[in-house]
Amino acid sequence: VSRELLLGNEAIALGLVEHGCRVVTAYPGTPSSEILAGVLRFMRRLDRRLYAEWSINEKVAFEIALAASWSGLRAAVAMKQVGLNVASDPLFSAAYTGVKGGFIVIPADDPGPHSSQTEQDSRLMALVAQVPVFDPASPAEARAMVEQAFALSERFEIPVMLRPTTRLCHARQDLPIDHPLPPDPPIPVARFHKDPSRWAATPRFRYRQHVALNAKLGQIEAEFAASALNYVTDAHASDRVGIIASGVAYYTARQALLELGAQVPILKIGTPFPLPQAAVSDFMAQFQTVLVLEEPAACIELQLANRDRVHGRLDGTVPAAGELSPEVVFGVLAGVLIAAGYPVNPPPADAALQAAIEELDLPVRKPNLCAGCAHRSAFFAIKREFGPRAIFPGDIGCYTLGINLRAVDTCLDMGASISLANGFFQTHQLTGGAQPIVAAIGDSTFLHSGIAPLINAVHTGARFVLVILDNRTTAMTGFQPTPAGPVLADGSRAAERVSITNLVRACNVNFVRVADPYDYAGFRSVLSEAYHHTQAADGGLAVVIAERSCVLDDPASLREHPMPVLITPECDGCRFCLESFGCPALVLRPDGSRVDIDNGLCVACGQCVDACHKGYIVPDTVGTGSAAR
Amino acid sequence: MTRCAHCAHSNLKVIVAGVGGQGVVFATRLLAQTAVALGCPVIVSETHGMSQRGGSVISHLNIGSSEAPLIQRGTADVLLALEPNEAMRSLPFLRRGGVAFVNAENGWRSAVTSHLERLDIQVLSLPAESIAIELGSAGVTNMVLIGFAIAHPLVLLPPSSIRKVLEDITRRDVALNLQALEAGLHLGKTIGSGAVSHPVQWR
Repeated sequence: VSRELLLGNEAIALGLVEHGCRVVTAYPGTPSSEILAGVLRFMRRLDRRLYAEWSINEKVAFEIALAASWSGLRAAVAMKQVGLNVASDPLFSAAYTGVKGGFIVIPADDPGPHSSQTEQDSRLMALVAQVPVFDPASPAEARAMVEQAFALSERFEIPVMLRPTTRLCHARQDLPIDHPLPPDPPIPVARFHKDPSRWAATPRFRYRQHVALNAKLGQIEAEFAASALNYVTDAHASDRVGIIASGVAYYTARQALLELGAQVPILKIGTPFPLPQAAVSDFMAQFQTVLVLEEPAACIELQLANRDRVHGRLDGTVPAAGELSPEVVFGVLAGVLIAAGYPVNPPPADAALQAAIEELDLPVRKPNLCAGCAHRSAFFAIKREFGPRAIFPGDIGCYTLGINLRAVDTCLDMGASISLANGFFQTHQLTGGAQPIVAAIGDSTFLHSGIAPLINAVHTGARFVLVILDNRTTAMTGFQPTPAGPVLADGSRAAERVSITNLVRACNVNFVRVADPYDYAGFRSVLSEAYHHTQAADGGLAVVIAERSCVLDDPASLREHPMPVLITPECDGCRFCLESFGCPALVLRPDGSRVDIDNGLCVACGQCVDACHKGYIVPDTVGTGSAAR
Repeated sequence: MTRCAHCAHSNLKVIVAGVGGQGVVFATRLLAQTAVALGCPVIVSETHGMSQRGGSVISHLNIGSSEAPLIQRGTADVLLALEPNEAMRSLPFLRRGGVAFVNAENGWRSAVTSHLERLDIQVLSLPAESIAIELGSAGVTNMVLIGFAIAHPLVLLPPSSIRKVLEDITRRDVALNLQALEAGLHLGKTIGSGAVSHPVQWR
């Protein structure tokens, strides 16, 4: 046995591979993206037979993995929490039909939120869909829960959710790995047994399935009540206050109690739904006050039949939004313990030091598009072409950062740029007062859920410019391949490269142009042409495909034609380039007198030459300015 | 609490702070991996996703018994900061008697010195980036800083173990990384065992 440092997502992946999971599908999304990559890594390392893919979206991913389960194999699907919204249709239905091979749904929640539109709690989705949930508190526990989740899923023929959160997904912990690695157990032959009353159940049969599902959940609750995943620590430490905690909040609470110098019994819940009511009431009966700590919402607390002595998110003791950071948990615990008459230590952080640092008003580092990013060039051209009056519906990806260039006005959900553009057009058409509408969506997002809204817009006669920012990868989440690329998840050759241009044409868009956003003048003239098409009597919706590889994913594309630049002595520090272009390699001198190029960050793309309308940023022909890296 | 037999710490809590692209995650991994190689339980919290695009990046490293991924403000033993503003922002993580190692070009002049003195927090700064550039690449600034820090008695992770892990986990420029580590270590040893609390002057 050796001990290796594994990311929480890799620990989940290892659990899947070592417990005979045969099909794993996913759509990338922070904080879940490393799960599928980890599966591929451990598949090779443990020499397992397994099929893994990056699917086009979460709904498709869910259904592919479900078919594997219906064929008797163990299967799993991973996504971020908002991805579960996309996959909720099959989730709700699959709870009724049930499964055959063990089937685990892994949505990664994002309390905070750090990289998401919402702080939604996937455990509550499971509660509504009637799917049991495992809620791991550490990478080690997540790995161990995979085995139990598969076993439960198979015994009750029910989909099971394993729900990690950001702090678990992106925690690294040392975990034991056996040497030699255990051999691959025999793989069952996939066999789909026809049973139309089950797999194709009509409403009459669905009623029966619902009755059966309710019965399953009753049995599962009884099993959970006796499960070692729900246990009490420091059982006899106090009779005044008891804590119920699940997920990462459990360890945060234990650490906070150490800092507070207090010992309090904790009921650690590993299975928040269905809540093992008997075990929970036994625990609660011992205390005058019970505090519930869970993330991101109140899944356990909501299931408590009697909340008279309960403090948590519902009575405002625990903040109803935001992450349960160590500081928040310390503060909440301190309040509850002091009220119950415990002596506690003061907060360890020095308030005066924190106040003094806050007074310094340190510059906040906003995330920004990388130096050389073609999205910046595209947005700069779009902004120059259409001005501030145009409406810019945006979408989900790196290019959401186009907000820095004021070229992104909305960020709702995957694919919404196109439907919102459609809606803005119809609304303004209805009342008059038409404005140019220029929507932007990335390649992966377009394939994920942009096609249906595009068809809708074409069919209803909406007129706007749609810019598809095709950087040939899923950049924000770590460069996963898209269906438009030449490779699959495991690096092997894709059967077909799906052409975005052909797809757009097939949606009956009559104006489709491919252009390179690095060619400022050329790109702008295509934008202008596209706009005229939306205004022409016989025109319609126009699509511009801005094609240029991501500089992080494919730095070679830049090295072929480097264009170092320098800023002439005439630069007067007017800040135009900083505000309208905003490349991180353009830096204002502390005295505000002029802008310099940070040669450490500059990638010599030469794109900022167009960003100084006074012409002070020029190609460096003698090599004194920025150097190609 | 019992002391770890290998690294001589009951529970060493380290914050690594910087900006996306500076190698915060790699530096943290090196320290964590070394602790694992020494037989200590470890849990690390990393920054992924949107903040990696040039935003503030912070890692929490817990060597010892805790399984809580985040370190509470006021409880960290050590702060490694690759950028002066991020150093300032992360100072409140340090406990009384904690130490900060800061990459800063011209010495790190703190605007909060009186508070740091009151809290017995030591700040040691060095021009790690210039040293790294002189060695061949700003990309190894993180290694210079780590080398510098491990010379301090509070961080006692044996240099030999760090070197070995660095050789194992570095994909390219192993020699340069090792050289940067040595340069930092040498400077740290020269400065002495933490007796100097003013900015390190180099050259």
